[in-house]
Amino acid sequence: MTALHQEQFTKAVGNAGEINDLLRRYGVKFGIYKNGEFKEQFFPFDPIPRVIPSQNFAQIEKGLIQRVDALNAFLYDIYHDKKIVRDGIVPEDFIYISKGYLAQCEGVTPKNKIYSHISGIDLVQAKDGEWYILEDNLRIPSGASYPLIARELTRIAAPQAFEENAVVDNRGYAQLLKETMEYANCGGIRAILTPGRFNAAYFEHSYLAEHTDSVLVQNDELFVEDNILYHRTYSGGKTRIGVLYRRIADEYLDPLTFLPESLIGIPNLMEAYRSGNVGIINAPGNGVADDKGIYYFVPKMIRYYLGEEPILKNAPTYLPFYEEDMKYVMDNLEQLVIKDVAEAGGYGVVFGSELSKERLEEFRAEIIAQPRRFIAQEVIDFLDLPIIDNGDTVMRKADLRAFVLSGETTKVWASGLTRFSRNPDSFVVNSSQGGGFKDTWVLSR
Amino acid sequence: MGTISLEHSNRLYWLGRYTERFFTTLKALGSLYDKMLDTQHGYTDYLGCFGLADTYEDNAAFLRSFLFDDTNPNSAAYSLERAYDNGIVLREEISTTSLSFLQMAKDTLEKAQNSTNIRLSLLPLEDILYAFWGCINEHIYDDEIRNIIYIGKTVERLDLYMRMKYPYPIVEKEFIRLLKNLNRVPRSTPFRYQTKPLSELVEILGTEADYDRESKRAISSLSRLFEAGEVSV
Repeated sequence: MTALHQEQFTKAVGNAGEINDLLRRYGVKFGIYKNGEFKEQFFPFDPIPRVIPSQNFAQIEKGLIQRVDALNAFLYDIYHDKKIVRDGIVPEDFIYISKGYLAQCEGVTPKNKIYSHISGIDLVQAKDGEWYILEDNLRIPSGASYPLIARELTRIAAPQAFEENAVVDNRGYAQLLKETMEYANCGGIRAILTPGRFNAAYFEHSYLAEHTDSVLVQNDELFVEDNILYHRTYSGGKTRIGVLYRRIADEYLDPLTFLPESLIGIPNLMEAYRSGNVGIINAPGNGVADDKGIYYFVPKMIRYYLGEEPILKNAPTYLPFYEEDMKYVMDNLEQLVIKDVAEAGGYGVVFGSELSKERLEEFRAEIIAQPRRFIAQEVIDFLDLPIIDNGDTVMRKADLRAFVLSGETTKVWASGLTRFSRNPDSFVVNSSQGGGFKDTWVLSR
Repeated sequence: MGTISLEHSNRLYWLGRYTERFFTTLKALGSLYDKMLDTQHGYTDYLGCFGLADTYEDNAAFLRSFLFDDTNPNSAAYSLERAYDNGIVLREEISTTSLSFLQMAKDTLEKAQNSTNIRLSLLPLEDILYAFWGCINEHIYDDEIRNIIYIGKTVERLDLYMRMKYPYPIVEKEFIRLLKNLNRVPRSTPFRYQTKPLSELVEILGTEADYDRESKRAISSLSRLFEAGEVSV
């Protein structure tokens, strides 16, 4: 967005108050647990959008489709022939000790061989304009509902901004999701499985159910009979479910296959899935491909499966698992960002520059002791975006979660969730860490 | 969609009940507010309708508690919170737009607490509630879903009207409305009425004299109308 456009936009929306009032009215919230207590918070929205010019987006789009297609090919390979391991492209260690690898999914082929139907790919734009992939989320990426409803409301609060800018309409996400769900449907109704109201993303679960004409269900409403998944109705009847967009983690899905202590799963769901009677979105076992350690290998996967050069770059990453990388990490720990591969949501991210000398040494010892547990990345000096803070425009760090949907073809939603840090000194943008969000405008020219 | 779970059917029923409880409580408090302009402790009859003791220092303390104290189970705020709790898990059935009116009601009630003219600042709530019911009609295509909410609404209204000793013609109209809703309920669902309590209601609410004499028994019959209707959601 040029300075002039930004000024026009800020004028048109007045201030963040109007749109935030509308978001409040429509219940745009997320849940958070603090000291063991559940609290619902409104998700702070900043009205100045991130703007991606058409040409720039076309490049991102190509790169994301390429990446997700390769990741889907990888998942099929890992749960079947494991050629990529046998050919020495990805070391065996990174597969079998990954928490996301599920032996129970060996040999299971989801309908149309699609494992990651909804992929949330996190990117950042560096100050030189180059986009870098920070993370792949192939299990239950959340966040699409926020820019979706924000766009609807911003168009009401600031119509002029849309008259003056050629913004691609992003409101087709629900339809895209519906088509994706239908492509995975094995015969029956569409359902979205939520752990319940006290889940951080409950707003999204219910909003997407409403807009895709799906039934929002919890586990106690579902049962499996003769390897078919059913919804138990209030009149004592049953309705077959053909596709389940689950918003609970793999290990809780089926207590007879995964964690026996899971109280939110559905016994025998995996049997119904293995029999091809229900589609599960995203497929169980995808965690092996979005493991922070596997991230390092994604460019290699693209070359291996697609025979193409990666269009989008990874952030420069080091695996202490490799001797050479370990040496680099030890020599440069103060300048790197270290991520615990088992953590998510902005947790387990440590900036070497922020550690005391003592803590740095302790951390060094931890990395040496458990090299597979960590990855190290160069700190990308990402582009700051303007946000309105108490009436003033200030600059803050922001990332972009792009949503890639894989159905009959792989498509990138022409929008995304731009998350920003409200803290001027922080790179962490996650909502659970106090971040806010913006709309993402893709321009049509 | 066309598939409703037991949990959601209960939620729909209680959404109707609590929304109506909020609305009727608010209207009753509006009338009391007017009465209290001329009378100290002008709310004691109201408390008597619900078997509650007068533990309030004055009119203002009563009003504050019954309007805004969400820990008082007889307050408007409490009913609205419960309506919202049920509504929030029914978004895909009732629509985001319908739910937004409950959020607006919550915001309006919260703002009214600090108003210098409480009654005036509560007036928009009536509009908001009518808009909510308009949305329920407009956005819910499934008759079964809509009917469950309306059964909750009419059961609650009838219960409150009888407790507050509303005149017979008004109670009779609400009862006829409830009968119409009940006739739309499919068999083998928790909202299929029990015949015995319904017969008792028909008998008591058949004439004004019986209603005047036996309204307590009618309230009891109403509470036994559904086998699973008195679930605690």
